[in-house]
Amino acid sequence: MKRLLLALMLLVAASPAGAEKLASTVSTPNVLITSSFDGAVLSLFGTIEADAPGVALTGPYNVIVVITGPLQDRVARRKTNSFGIWRNTEQVTFKQFPSFYDVLSSGKLDVIAPADVLAGENILPADQARASASEGETARAEEFGTELVRLMTSDGHFLVKEDGIRFLSSTAYVAQLTLPSDVANGPFLAHTMVFKDKQLVAEHREGFSVRKSGFENFIFVASKTQPLLYGLVCVALALGTGWLAGVVFKR
Amino acid sequence: MQIYLPIAELSMNLFFLIGIGGAVGFLSGLFGVGGGFLLTPLLIFSGVPAPVAVASVTGQVAAASTSGALSYYRRGGIDLHLALYLILSSTIGAMAGVTTFGLLRAAGQLDLFISVSYLVLLGFVGTLMMTEALRTLLRRRAGVVIRDKLPSQHTWMHGLPLRIRFKKSRLYISVLPVLAIGLFIGWVGALLGIGGGFILVPALVYLLRVPANVVVGTSLLQVVAMMCVTTILQALTSQSVDVMLAFCLMVGGTVGAQFGASAGKYLRGDQLRALLALLVLGVAIRFGLTLVLPPSDAFSMAVITAGGAG
Repeated sequence: MKRLLLALMLLVAASPAGAEKLASTVSTPNVLITSSFDGAVLSLFGTIEADAPGVALTGPYNVIVVITGPLQDRVARRKTNSFGIWRNTEQVTFKQFPSFYDVLSSGKLDVIAPADVLAGENILPADQARASASEGETARAEEFGTELVRLMTSDGHFLVKEDGIRFLSSTAYVAQLTLPSDVANGPFLAHTMVFKDKQLVAEHREGFSVRKSGFENFIFVASKTQPLLYGLVCVALALGTGWLAGVVFKR
Repeated sequence: MQIYLPIAELSMNLFFLIGIGGAVGFLSGLFGVGGGFLLTPLLIFSGVPAPVAVASVTGQVAAASTSGALSYYRRGGIDLHLALYLILSSTIGAMAGVTTFGLLRAAGQLDLFISVSYLVLLGFVGTLMMTEALRTLLRRRAGVVIRDKLPSQHTWMHGLPLRIRFKKSRLYISVLPVLAIGLFIGWVGALLGIGGGFILVPALVYLLRVPANVVVGTSLLQVVAMMCVTTILQALTSQSVDVMLAFCLMVGGTVGAQFGASAGKYLRGDQLRALLALLVLGVAIRFGLTLVLPPSDAFSMAVITAGGAG
């Protein structure tokens, strides 16, 4: 009986009275890379709705969207000087580290979201690095993780934008997301969290994909599935171009 | 205008690619070298991942050398017999080079190795060429008559066992130094993404005493063959040959090479060699500085792929 009561209490806690739900969408669910691809701009739209009819929504609401790109194993390396020569001497591996990571929010993260949610969901880029550092690397992972995040940020793959979400009304928002031209191909995940009074009231996850299309995809697939043929075609192309140039310019 | 490179997975400016292909092609036509030693570092510096740059430049060098090799072939300026031995041994060297490339990538020391190799190789060859060219220039100024041909004296290398007669080069020498040169050129070429023409020509001239009328043609044919083999090997192992990138460079490179070749007619041989030596030394110094100067950023990152970290 006591256990049932506890379970009930937990249930109530998980779905507070006057519960909100979130309806959201991505402007381009399939980002296609063509020969003239030079990055892409996506919009994320969403509205906060009442869970049941007749419930009045009382804001103000705050939203955080975390966009995570395909995961890759990555190393961060440090050059040090030994015997007058600078070379890579130390490295830390980060397993399953996001190739793209954007945090967009409608306000200061630590103001709008409780610390336990920020930490539990590994929202900050530094937490992502900490979570994917390989075992037994905890001592250096902190330092190398910070540097890795810095490098990813300067390359335009990581971003924390605390004014990245704009409210159109008290319940509808829009966020803009920029993918760089060297974005990794694969599945992306957008995790949207709605907060009210520093409480998580609703969340939603949705995916979108970035992939090559048409000729670019054909070339990529050919290089992986028919490497010998691909190599032969490259060679034929080189010899043909060289021969043609010789003929054209002979005069 | 941006063009997406499907293997490098990034987009670059089409005119920039054709432009650097053309500029390097001009120099390669002018000096009769492949130009890989300039193009590979340029691409890496512009943000192309090192494995893709090294693998794709091989295609461009093959294209740029083909038209040169063809015109030498028509004039009878190629020792096919000698080229065959060089090609066979450099193919084996290239296989070893592609394997070494993968190992160094995995160990994270590819940058260091490439910098040191460029420094040592280019520094050595550049100094050699520079002193030779300067000596000729000074003698010409002093009014001394210069012998065009090197004295066809034999070195200890020629006397090794397994002697073979190379008719066109008028040589009867041991095949061992020929194979050793081929192996080394193949290994270095695959590893650094260079054709190795600037090493092969001096090696053929100074070590094997190949006569001047066949040395450039034979070297060009060897570069074409070896770059073709390397392209296929890279396509098979690292799968990082970007055909779009290679094609853009080829178009610029082959056109540039034609203009370079006609510009070369206005310069004397020793002047050309002195300029090439300056260029080679410049690249060597550039790599030397990256080794000794403190880097602007001590940290770097790389993605670990099936073939190791780039």
